[in-house]
Amino acid sequence: MNEKSADFEAVLGIPEVEGDQAAGERSSEANFVDIFLAELGPLKKIIAGMGLSASDSEDVLQDVSIRALEQPVRGRSKGQCVRWLIKVAVNRCLTEFRHRKRFRRKASEILKRRSETKTDPISAENKAIVAEELEIMRKTLQEMDESLLAPMVLRYFCDLNSREIGEILTLSPLAVRSRLRKARMILAKRLIKRGVEP
Amino acid sequence: MQKSCEDIADMLVDYADGRLSPGESSKVAAHLAKCKDCRGSLEALQRSLELAGVIWEDQLAEIEAVRIQIPEKVRKFSWRGYAVIAAGILLVVAISSVLKVLVGHTEKEPTFAEIEQKIDESYSAARLLAAADLLAKYPDTEAIAKRQYHYVVKKYPQTPAAAEAKLRIK
Repeated sequence: MNEKSADFEAVLGIPEVEGDQAAGERSSEANFVDIFLAELGPLKKIIAGMGLSASDSEDVLQDVSIRALEQPVRGRSKGQCVRWLIKVAVNRCLTEFRHRKRFRRKASEILKRRSETKTDPISAENKAIVAEELEIMRKTLQEMDESLLAPMVLRYFCDLNSREIGEILTLSPLAVRSRLRKARMILAKRLIKRGVEP
Repeated sequence: MQKSCEDIADMLVDYADGRLSPGESSKVAAHLAKCKDCRGSLEALQRSLELAGVIWEDQLAEIEAVRIQIPEKVRKFSWRGYAVIAAGILLVVAISSVLKVLVGHTEKEPTFAEIEQKIDESYSAARLLAAADLLAKYPDTEAIAKRQYHYVVKKYPQTPAAAEAKLRIK
């Protein structure tokens, strides 16, 4: 890092970047804002997975975009920038998650919207079962500890692997797998309690 | 539930995710073939993930409409930054020339290294000032901008940018 960028980072309070990336991986042209805009879709997925509402998600995205504006991209690979953005978004979501009511939309509303947009109609009998199961899942996700929900969202909704999730949540891949198992069993047990036909 | 069901339960999530070795996987499959309870657990694991997916997709549909405004001026920061840097360098050169004429031969002439250092300092200070000006435009980054003005004054006190920063602080 040269003296000029060190100046910026001293003022903005940004720690120095680890030098573990290959030189060829560095992106000198792109900036954090461009990367943020390119990664808006995955970031929205994370926020949605954490159950935040549209207005809360706007706050989170605005906040992440400001953090991106402040960040110098120099010396970082695109992959590192993306991981940094995801990390900021996840942390911001977790803060919101602790203070806000999440997964607010009831099962009946979900099904109503789904019937408007999806082409596969559900029969009236099935609708009642699905509505009941959805409501159980919604409440379970709502009550689920954030330490279990975050890995679930990153793995099963954002398709990240255990190593990537571990980097973002500062966990070992083994710890990630263990949390995923725990979270999945919690969801499954709630359905079994209601009675799922094998 | 049979005794071996406890062992299988630990492996069921990995089995459902296709993460088991072929040997472990066939062991679980063989158990599932004869155990209704474990089949129920597997079904519940798959079904619950499916339902969670429906809920997540619904949340995403709500959030998809959210638009974020990124100020265009911020993204073109470098152009403005370079203009300020160039102005700073010119100013230093001009001041040095005027000083040379006014002071004449009574003072020792600055060495090339000293001039270079002054230009370097002016460059850094002007660059920081430009960034601070930019940040000062947004309410969320106003505090950072103020900190940056103070930093310019403290670190490069002899530069034109430091004088500008002092004015901004006031």
